[in-house]
Amino acid sequence: MLCLRHKRINIHLSNTMVQVKVPPKPIDSNIGYLELKNDDIYCSKAFLSHVGKLTKDKKISLDFFINNLVHKDDSNQFRNNYFSYIKNNLPFRQSMLILCKKGKYEEFVCTTNQNNIHLNNATTKFLFFNKRKFKTNKRVKKHKFYYKEAAEMTSTGSWYVDFIKRKSYWDQQTRRILEYPEDYKPSLRKASSYYPKKDYELAKKLFYRCSTNGESFNTEIKMLTKNNREFWVRAKGKPVFNDQKKIIGIRGIFQDIDATKAKELNLQRTSDIIASQNKRLFNFAYIVSHNLRSHTSNLSLVMELINATKSKEEKLELIDSIKDITSSLNDTIEHLNEVVTIQTITNKSKSPVQFSESLRHVKTSIGQIIAKSRATIISDFTKVDTINYIPAYLESILLNLITNSIKYKHPERDPIIKIVSYLEDNKTVLEVTDNGIGIDLEKFGDKLFGMYKTFHYNKDAVGIGLFITKNQIEALNGQINAFSEVEKFTTFKITF
Amino acid sequence: MKNKLIELACIIDDDDIYINLIRRIIETKKLCENLIVFKNGKQSLDYFESLLQNSNEDKVPDIILIDLNMPIMDGWEFIEQFTKIKNRFNKLITLYIVSSSINPVDIDRAKSLNTIKDYLVKPIVINQLETIFDISA
Repeated sequence: MLCLRHKRINIHLSNTMVQVKVPPKPIDSNIGYLELKNDDIYCSKAFLSHVGKLTKDKKISLDFFINNLVHKDDSNQFRNNYFSYIKNNLPFRQSMLILCKKGKYEEFVCTTNQNNIHLNNATTKFLFFNKRKFKTNKRVKKHKFYYKEAAEMTSTGSWYVDFIKRKSYWDQQTRRILEYPEDYKPSLRKASSYYPKKDYELAKKLFYRCSTNGESFNTEIKMLTKNNREFWVRAKGKPVFNDQKKIIGIRGIFQDIDATKAKELNLQRTSDIIASQNKRLFNFAYIVSHNLRSHTSNLSLVMELINATKSKEEKLELIDSIKDITSSLNDTIEHLNEVVTIQTITNKSKSPVQFSESLRHVKTSIGQIIAKSRATIISDFTKVDTINYIPAYLESILLNLITNSIKYKHPERDPIIKIVSYLEDNKTVLEVTDNGIGIDLEKFGDKLFGMYKTFHYNKDAVGIGLFITKNQIEALNGQINAFSEVEKFTTFKITF
Repeated sequence: MKNKLIELACIIDDDDIYINLIRRIIETKKLCENLIVFKNGKQSLDYFESLLQNSNEDKVPDIILIDLNMPIMDGWEFIEQFTKIKNRFNKLITLYIVSSSINPVDIDRAKSLNTIKDYLVKPIVINQLETIFDISA
């Protein structure tokens, strides 16, 4: 349809053109122009010097011009403008991309006769092409400036992965936040070096989903700089489609959020500490009320009995029992005191402690108990030998766990206690394993570390050791867990 | 108008001093004829299970006073196990919790269980004991 119309108009055009013999011509200086004659378009020298020599003469067809020289994004608008110009003499001004030498598109402003005062009376229609070099540059510069400012101030770099060319592109800001030199060429093959191991798996998953299902992503992820520094990044990415709706790449940004993330994590940690302290305080309040109450209620019962008894002898006997009550009240208060001391410690008293040194102290202090029970203690601190901790606590923890193992040894075998240290998720772990009678964790798991909880018919089971141990560990943000099989073993795992 | 005396009462508690005091009250006030004492839930549960096997009816207590916080088997676990077997006795056994816990969680939990007649908070007073033993008879 368009083609037919265009031919008809050109015929009409050629008719008018024949009558005009000597049309005034524009000056062919740094601006190029097209002279529209008959079916053809004649290019000026300046125009040809931009786009390169196209044909033997200066003649090209409209179709050739639109299909081969005008960028496809501009061609429709140009075609409309062109016909309005030819048919109705409507002037236009259009900025458009034209294919120039070396296959590069350059931006031109296309104008008509009406934009040139001395050609107002010309019968031949011309199209003028003015390079936008100066203006565009200024605009691009301005854009580039804003873009750069925004990128730098928000520490946001952008990137593109081109699936067709199998290439990755980073802008300068991406290189900067990842500490790579300005001429560094990224590649998907090297992607594993941009992320810590765990995060690389996440990144791979996100990229895979984006490239196969077209799922955009927006996530917080840890990345590695060239200098192997881990830092937090917000990574956003979205698929890039071609005309056939096929995904041909992924475009996105990396934003350095390390400082904010550090604050957030810090806040989270503080809030965790507060929550756990709060929990311990509640627990403590409950213990205090419960454990003290049992003594005071005994006291009031004694008083009531004394009042109810008439015999003097019995009264004296009852007064005697007050002694027992006060002495157990005293024990309880001492235990509670121990717990209170744990709650009030500060980080200041932490210092590097060697596991082996700590264990040596414990072995010396309970040497007799160890010898009497014929216990063997095997230790291996080769993986982690030192820890920053409160020395007295580490000793107390080791002491409690070792005496626990000896207390609950298996009647048919001598106790063997294995103590090892190692790293797990960047945290120091201490494990104490025995070959004792074990404990039914399904039954007692939630009470194992409770105060005055004992689970065995053992004379010296007081039920305070593990409670104190747990409190000491948690007061320093650690964790203690138990694993056991009845009649076989018990393992206490402490994550510092 | 005193009822017939309770024949056998049972106390399950790990606090020696408390047991001695209660024993003294029961003896001076003559609240029951016999008293058996267990130091934790497991001991008493073993006792009740052996009673079922030997069908020794006259050793089944009329009343149980049980503490909650005890080693090895606490009051709650005993109550749970005891509920399963209590109907196999030909006798109504009244169960009271006597605990120093004033935790509302414990009190509500006790109220929700049919097996438990009442929840008494230590210190228990002599009058209270007299009333309980009176009703149970």
